[in-house]
Amino acid sequence: MSSLFTSTFSDGRFTITFDRPDSAANIFDPATLQALEELVDSVTRLPSAKSLVFRTAKDSIFVAGADLNVLENASPEDLEMFLIQGQRVFQKIAGLSCITVAEIHGACLGGGCELALACDWRVASDDRSTKIGLPETQLGILPAWGGSSRLPRLIGLPAALDLILGGKQLAGRQAKKLGLVDGVAARERLGTLTDQLLAKGKPKRPSHWLTNNPLSALVIRRVAGGKAQARSRGNYPAIDAALQVVSQAVSGSLTDSMTRERAAVRILATSPEARQLLRVFHLQERARKFHFSPDPVTPNTVSRVAVIGAGVMGSGIAQWLAARKIPVLLRDIDPARVGAGLRSVKQLFSDAVKHRVFTETEAHRLSGNVIPSATVVPMQSIDLVIEAAVEDLEIKRKIFRDLAGRTRADTILATNTSALPVSQLAEDSEIGRRDRLIGLHFFNPVARMQLVEIVTTPHTSPEVVETALAFVRKLGKLPVVVGDRPGFLVNRILMPYLIEAGRLFDAGWDAKLIDEAMLDFGMPMGPLRLLDEVGLDVALHVAHTMQGAFGDRFAIPQILDRLVQNGFFGRKTGEGIFEHKKSKGKTVSDNALVRRAHGTAPANLPEKTAVAERLALLMVNEATRCLEEGVAHSEDDVDFAMIFGTGFAPFRGGPIAWAKALGWPVVREKLEALAAREGEAFTPSDWIRSQPG
Amino acid sequence: MASSDNQLVILDGVRTPFARMGSDLAGIDAVELGRQAVVALLARTGLDPDLVDETIFGCVSQPAEAANIARVIALRAGIPKSKPAMTVHRNCASSLESLTSAAEKMAAGRGQIYIVGGTESMSRIPFYYPQATAEKFTALSRARSLGQRIALMAKFRPADFAPRIGLKMGLTDPVVGLNMGETAEVLARELGITRREQDAFALASHLKACASSGKLAEEIAPFYLPDSMAGFMAEDNGPRANQTPEALAKLKSVFEPGTGTVTAGNSSQITDGAVALLVATRRRAESLGLQPLGRLVDYAWWGCDPERMGLGPVGAIRRVAATSGLRPDQADTIEINEAFAAQVLGVAKKLASEDASLTIPMEKLNPNGGAIALGHPVGATGGRLILTALKELARNGGKRALVSLCIGGGQGGAAWFEREA
Repeated sequence: MSSLFTSTFSDGRFTITFDRPDSAANIFDPATLQALEELVDSVTRLPSAKSLVFRTAKDSIFVAGADLNVLENASPEDLEMFLIQGQRVFQKIAGLSCITVAEIHGACLGGGCELALACDWRVASDDRSTKIGLPETQLGILPAWGGSSRLPRLIGLPAALDLILGGKQLAGRQAKKLGLVDGVAARERLGTLTDQLLAKGKPKRPSHWLTNNPLSALVIRRVAGGKAQARSRGNYPAIDAALQVVSQAVSGSLTDSMTRERAAVRILATSPEARQLLRVFHLQERARKFHFSPDPVTPNTVSRVAVIGAGVMGSGIAQWLAARKIPVLLRDIDPARVGAGLRSVKQLFSDAVKHRVFTETEAHRLSGNVIPSATVVPMQSIDLVIEAAVEDLEIKRKIFRDLAGRTRADTILATNTSALPVSQLAEDSEIGRRDRLIGLHFFNPVARMQLVEIVTTPHTSPEVVETALAFVRKLGKLPVVVGDRPGFLVNRILMPYLIEAGRLFDAGWDAKLIDEAMLDFGMPMGPLRLLDEVGLDVALHVAHTMQGAFGDRFAIPQILDRLVQNGFFGRKTGEGIFEHKKSKGKTVSDNALVRRAHGTAPANLPEKTAVAERLALLMVNEATRCLEEGVAHSEDDVDFAMIFGTGFAPFRGGPIAWAKALGWPVVREKLEALAAREGEAFTPSDWIRSQPG
Repeated sequence: MASSDNQLVILDGVRTPFARMGSDLAGIDAVELGRQAVVALLARTGLDPDLVDETIFGCVSQPAEAANIARVIALRAGIPKSKPAMTVHRNCASSLESLTSAAEKMAAGRGQIYIVGGTESMSRIPFYYPQATAEKFTALSRARSLGQRIALMAKFRPADFAPRIGLKMGLTDPVVGLNMGETAEVLARELGITRREQDAFALASHLKACASSGKLAEEIAPFYLPDSMAGFMAEDNGPRANQTPEALAKLKSVFEPGTGTVTAGNSSQITDGAVALLVATRRRAESLGLQPLGRLVDYAWWGCDPERMGLGPVGAIRRVAATSGLRPDQADTIEINEAFAAQVLGVAKKLASEDASLTIPMEKLNPNGGAIALGHPVGATGGRLILTALKELARNGGKRALVSLCIGGGQGGAAWFEREA
């Protein structure tokens, strides 16, 4: 067990270096904690020990946190033991008479951060990999190895709540600004900082009396609670629990506070919310690793990319690639379009600078990776082409025929279409790339949406799928492999839901009722607002394509047609269902109200929960059809794609997990009742009917 | 010259549009001008940047923030870090120098593929503080106490803030103390070149440039301006289609008030722009399967009296005729940089009078206009002349081109190119 870390002792300094064998990460499991405890005990017995320093031997991880397996699989008794064990070890570290320093380099999260908080001093490297934080609430629990208690004492209650409730992860310099660490330097110079701090002895910390007194804590708690409630709408019990535990931590004893930490986690760990959030975490990890082909296939490297079309999507994709150091040719038919695309690229880079993703110098250098072209240029060096031209099959056909003649035979041709059939392009004999033409569907806005759908056809070669997977991961995006049916997976499931929301609005329902219902349900945005954001014209186009393929459950509510005909496209034109200029989207647009089929709402409108259920059930219904048709390859894929592609309430675990929690028979019953009343869009799929129960 | 295998051939070239000082490209620095030229060159040739052995760029007024501007341009344009870059300076012929430097390296077997060219933002040539002012600032930055600072600040006088204009200093010969325009007046006086002759030459330059805008477009890549509403610039803005002899005649002499003949109208325009050329040894070009535009046949540099720097081409053309046996009448197109109308006319007059066999056939001179219309971004002009000449050969089916420039400080450069059929 001693190989979990190495330790040295010289000149009164004890150094513990975390180095978990056969792993890139250091984590805390019971065995590691036990070994650490023994070592700390031995330091206690060493009278000559003047200082204890923690560091890591890994490239990008200090300690990533507690072993999630224990959290998920341990019995309540074992979990309690694990909590007590961690608290005890860190208490022992905090109680050492020698001076303790954590030299943080790489991810220092959860339990890793709590260890650092138990030290006298903390220093952090300025490396990109250094992230310090307590993200437990994002997994449905809270920091319970003293983190919820020590952090507010160290940096003050408001900052601690901000970090813990938001699950924020800080770079070294940000942590320094908050007082979470005492110094920042290059990794190689952390030792120098340690020497300087050790010379100062034990630290004297500010008391934060202004914020950390019981009265202030009460006020702060109310304000922070209000903010958190606005975001979580009471759907995340961990947020409420953390708010309570952290606010109470500033008064009374540390031991009592840590008892409250444990009590909270005992309840949270078994909550359905925590189960689903942990599952979402695993689904995300799976997307970072999984292979589509059963046989191992080596992906090709994609080092040069061309993007055809410099519109919103094309320039968004080009900017994202450029920011990941991939040279990208941005091609459009005339310099004005290319120029407009470059302007968007530049805007996206300035946004990234504003959000401190890049420095000015980095952004300037990276933006040079976009190579503009308004003329036909050689493409022999291009490994992947992403077409992001207008959504017109004939135009795309023309583009790909031309590309096929000018690229290498092994170049992958991809379309970023959001609804058109990829197979029709793949099977085009004049393009002649059936095994290498796929869909690569980025979502708008590219810089913010993590999911990328990889659309395969029956002809797609396994090597192309693996190359696409590796490429999407290299971009820092999350891939999901989906089948080629109109709308693919995410838009397919989303569309009936958006259409129904539009239909209800058209029938005189209050727009706020519809959107609020879904916000309460846990969606990041109401469906009507989402329509405005996507653009009513775009939604209409996608819905048309899908209506052609799947029939009238994709019939467009007339209100959308009327708004588009009158030039109200949503946020981009300043008005759609909502008014986006004066009221910034807060009020419903008069132009939408007067164009509804029914101006007044029917009597006896249902409760918000019933509205949400009705809308969410449509997503479930469509999701199961995707499973039937092989558009989605697994239930996990559906949930994963909906959460990362649309922000579907993560604590519910996605549409399938939500339906399962209701129970398939209940889902079927409710859908049948709705179908009888509202029409066949609600008729349960064969898949739902065939579920046992 | 080098053995046929190591001979320099020009594979392709491209330039930014040329923009009058203070106009469309005034907000763009010389690095960005050069970067976009190189990026466009790489895009249109499809060349793997990893194959470039070195980047050599000319720039007369290198920005202080981009020392060795060629290296900054190369890195920003995506040329791998492992590929060296250097900046050359031969005043107005800097970018011709970049090409002849590459040729010499090729001949010596030092490399096979080079990106050469030049860049100049004359809009951005800085103003300087006088030395005495700079000393006051230095003292101020070293002051320790507030009292010291206040005392030192009190020493500044309004005169301290009168700038020394970089552009003006750059265009003044330090050895003889004459401005370039004054050297042109010397030629006009000594060789008897009239105001009328100069204005007629200037007018022709504008007319030719306007008539050739379609041809010139072949050598221009759109310059992208993400910060401007237009989004890009695709044409030179110097040529004036509505230029009249009357308007030219009205302009006052700049350099010899009252009696002089050199005006803003018959001098080259002060301009921003960049040009990039892809050059390789013949052997390397063949192995890449690329069809060259032409090859460098021979070239010569020549020194002359700084006071008569405009006559530099006379000696250079004579000298290259001696080494290559090529006379101007054997050229199918000739580009002599139009620093000043008086200076080009002076070169022609001088050559004809010194050696009739070297007479310039004026009908072949600058068929698409010259710097009087297009502008003279000093570090980039040499490359522009080469590019225009080679594209002209491709259009008119001719074989040989002569390119020559006068150079501030008293030099001339001349080079012969042959189209590769």
